Amino acid sequence: MIHSGNVRAPDEELAMHYAREFYGRRQESHRLWVVARDAITELDDPDLLNPPFDRSFKRPGGYLIKHKLEAAKARANAPAGTEGSE
Amino acid sequence: MDDQERADAFYAHVMGGGKVEADDWMPDDYRAAVLKFVEMHANSELMGVLPEREWILRAPTLKRKLALTSKVQDEVGHAQLLYRVAEDLGKPREQMLADLMAGKTKFHNVFHYPTRSWGDVGIIAWLVDAAAIVSQQALRDSSYAPYARTMKKICWEESVHIMHGRDVVLTLMNGTSRQREMVQEALDRWWGPLMQMHGPPTDPATDRDLIWKIKAKGNEQLRQEFLSIYVPRIWELGLTVPDAGLGYDEVEGRWHYTEPDWAELRNVVTGHGPMSQERLEFRRTNHAATQWVRDAVLGAPSAAA
Ligand SMILES: [Fe+2]
Ligand SMILES: [Fe+2]
Repeated sequence: MIHSGNVRAPDEELAMHYAREFYGRRQESHRLWVVARDAITELDDPDLLNPPFDRSFKRPGGYLIKHKLEAAKARANAPAGTEGSE
Repeated sequence: MDDQERADAFYAHVMGGGKVEADDWMPDDYRAAVLKFVEMHANSELMGVLPEREWILRAPTLKRKLALTSKVQDEVGHAQLLYRVAEDLGKPREQMLADLMAGKTKFHNVFHYPTRSWGDVGIIAWLVDAAAIVSQQALRDSSYAPYARTMKKICWEESVHIMHGRDVVLTLMNGTSRQREMVQEALDRWWGPLMQMHGPPTDPATDRDLIWKIKAKGNEQLRQEFLSIYVPRIWELGLTVPDAGLGYDEVEGRWHYTEPDWAELRNVVTGHGPMSQERLEFRRTNHAATQWVRDAVLGAPSAAA
């Protein structure tokens, strides 16, 4: 489901026809959901949506494993008994 | 068109790769099959947070605590998204929760086991989530379109969980020999349940979920994919997979392994796992303790009024 775009129409029926012409003319859509703009509840508060704290742990890129992986592989391949003591 | 013709046309549609929306007409068999599948998935997300929740207060650093809390929050969110999909198919959410708590419906085998150490937390987030994502990625092609769409968001979040888990495991593997042992012990405990998780191989000719494309890949195919990606990643860390029969057969192009314990799987998912009843009891207690919140939000008449 993606937002295809918007149309300007005087009523629901015409909005549907316009939507079909704009976004369903080339068989690119399986179905269209048309909603009046004033029926949409919007949240655009950046303090809520993009708070200024470090949230990198919520993203795959927040974990930098390259060096850890190299170190762990090197240790796995080291002959037994060559590990440092604790 | 009579009902049989209508159903025939419907099945021809889904078997040809067609999608189904919540408000489309669908045969009762299909509706029931999707509902059962999604409900079990939702239950699993909801119950799946309990083993990890136990470790939030014991996380070794603040960063790990934040990441684990966030993962638990994600999983509860997955349950919410999936109960939404399921309730649109006609079963009220309260009924699904009641059936789960009464032990009438199931959740995945891996969430019936205890989490004994921080090593378990790493192995769960890395490998249990990895085994789950293999099947969830395939579900993005489900014939039931609301489920397929939901799975896109869920898969993205699961990929974060896997990175978190792999990072925990790598950190331990770079640590003391006791920390390394902790990972190996956790892997030893979880390997059996992991191999059972996708279920026994099914016959593609009779597996209705597969025929109707509710799921896109069979159990054995999912297990093979999991092994292909993750066994090399386990081995490269110097860990030992506790199955002497595990190996890749170049000629056949598939992994061989010791037959998983299917009796244990059946026993565990029917509520006889080591933690099954304790976890369900937690849900029941929690559900009762939060009843006032639902009453307040849904506006149930106050007894005092
Ligand atoms: Fe999840
Ligand atoms: Fe997850």
